[in-house]
Amino acid sequence: MASSPKVGQISKQDKIRSIMGQYGIGVVLIIMMIIIAVMEPRFLTLSNIINVATQISINGLLCYGLCICITTGGIDLTVGAQLALTSCIIGQTMTNLGWPAFLAILAGVAVSTAFGFIDGCLIAKFNMFPFVVTLSMQLVIRGLSQVITGGRAVMITNKWFAGIYSNKLFGIPMPIIIFIVVTILMYLMLHWTKFGRYIYAVGGNVNAAVASGVSRFWVLVGVYTISGLLAGLASMIYTSKTGAAQSNIGVGYETDAIAAAVLGGTSFAGGIATIPGDVLGIFIIGLIYNGMNMIGVSSYFQSIVKGLIIIGAVMLDMVMNKNNH
Amino acid sequence: MKKKMLAVAMATAMVLGLVACGSSSAPAATAPAKEEAPAEEAKEEAPAEAEAPAEEAAAPAGADVNGDGKVIVGYISKNFTDPFHAPINARAEEYFNQAVADGIIDEWTGLLDGETDPNKQIDRAADCISKNCDIVIFLPAEAEASDPALVQMANAGISVIEVNSKSTSCDDLAIAYVGSDDVQAGNMLAQWVVDNCPNGGKYIHCNGILGNSAQLQRTEGMHAIMDEHPEFEMVGDFDTKWDGNLASDAASDSMAKYGDDLVAIICDNDGMSSAAQKTCNDNGRSDIICIGVDGVEVPLQMVKEGTLKATVLQDGVGQINGAIAIVEALVKGEEYDPNPVIPFVLVTADNVDEYL
Repeated sequence: MASSPKVGQISKQDKIRSIMGQYGIGVVLIIMMIIIAVMEPRFLTLSNIINVATQISINGLLCYGLCICITTGGIDLTVGAQLALTSCIIGQTMTNLGWPAFLAILAGVAVSTAFGFIDGCLIAKFNMFPFVVTLSMQLVIRGLSQVITGGRAVMITNKWFAGIYSNKLFGIPMPIIIFIVVTILMYLMLHWTKFGRYIYAVGGNVNAAVASGVSRFWVLVGVYTISGLLAGLASMIYTSKTGAAQSNIGVGYETDAIAAAVLGGTSFAGGIATIPGDVLGIFIIGLIYNGMNMIGVSSYFQSIVKGLIIIGAVMLDMVMNKNNH
Repeated sequence: MKKKMLAVAMATAMVLGLVACGSSSAPAATAPAKEEAPAEEAKEEAPAEAEAPAEEAAAPAGADVNGDGKVIVGYISKNFTDPFHAPINARAEEYFNQAVADGIIDEWTGLLDGETDPNKQIDRAADCISKNCDIVIFLPAEAEASDPALVQMANAGISVIEVNSKSTSCDDLAIAYVGSDDVQAGNMLAQWVVDNCPNGGKYIHCNGILGNSAQLQRTEGMHAIMDEHPEFEMVGDFDTKWDGNLASDAASDSMAKYGDDLVAIICDNDGMSSAAQKTCNDNGRSDIICIGVDGVEVPLQMVKEGTLKATVLQDGVGQINGAIAIVEALVKGEEYDPNPVIPFVLVTADNVDEYL
């Protein structure tokens, strides 16, 4: 896994095994794609692939935030409420106060980032359980979004803002570009920087990490702040997509993000996660939705199918891992 | 030590914050906490004195039902978060605050938050009983699961007016129901599609939360018309949970699959239809007819600017005004219509200005 020691010689076979262990879930993804494509050939058209990639951007950003929180041994349950709050702030400042779109986005994302920072401080400074802190903070955050809008929906007509979802750069929709840029940045941060290594260290063995000079406080504050920032960006895409800001959006969105992270090999025990794994998990969750829509699974069965696929995928992944080690 | 002091300081700040918030929204916020114990008692006592007052409530017995010399009105909302319910709640708050100031009624509970949760609504009903409410306006979240709230209040002798949707025993226990017929709304959705796509074609349906009465009845009404027209074929029936984001995804998936054959998207609410239409328009498919029910601000704005052709408006403020009229009739001891039906309105570019 990611934390496997790099000392000594690693044979080629071991390397393949290790890659299979990390990204075996990719096989699940390919199997899913084949099944859907056989049942509905139009699934593999370029337009539908772009369509899926566009749809996963919101859950993708949330998933990265959750991934790093889970890797430190915590969790961030506020992301659904953060979607609502950022959306409401963007809507109110842009439509009702007449702010330029860029400033409105900045304000919304700044607030969600600040709430992430507060979560991190409460968790790191007072040793409170992340589950409890974020469970309570999501109530505060959603409440705040109700206060800001009075429960009303705010329409957003700004053309530039709507373009965040619908515009294309070299034929690629903007949400995909945002998703790719964030993915690269997250990859570099987690796998190439000192801060990334500290995240694994705090999640793997906090005492050892602290003993070797890692600041537990700043690592935790850092991951929750980043999670808040990513939720704010996800909300920007969401709000641009629906053209409306309202306080009842994003309920339960943390579950899809957690599911994607877990499918991607993020361990709830902490200390284990990879960004490429997350990308696979995010695509699997996106494919479940798109695949069911394409195949035409009855609405009453969609929820059951989704749950079973997630369990099946994790199980298959574990079986493959076992065979490889 | 420093940490401890900081923790204590924060805790104190939070408590002070709560107290401050509580006092600003006075009776509504503080009452439930204070009267939790009596509420429990009331729940137990209620069945004993049950039958008689419940029957009495069916006849217009005047406003002060429990004879304590005060007319107290309760208001249990469906939720505070849904854009459809915001203007209903706002209208109720405005009217009842004024009514207390004018002396039409003595007190009201303030807006109680049902959180779209039958369990919470039943708790709020117990709060209304312990507050000695005479009349309660109740917007049930669910037909079956919220019904115990009505049963409990009716058994305690309260005159309950259900608004917006009915709970199961509404016809037997509530003194009045003010609402609209969701089956009619479903008919109107389908009729609009039939009228605007004369050649027929493929269409998809985006559901609300499955099992919700509005979802069931609107779907029923839609099928009643669409199934009569063999030139239309339903090619997708999606579990979109009243969520515009999911409806937008369903729209883009279906456009990818059916291309030009897709002619219409029928949605159980217009938060979904406006998001779906936006996605269609963004993909150069503004010819796809998207329509939904409610008439919240965003779809209405879209109708005004011409990006959405029509929406079916449920007159929520009309419904709450109907309930207010009944409260006024009770206070004056006048006759009232126990089942006023507030019609749905088809909103197009021609009449949208009346509703914005």
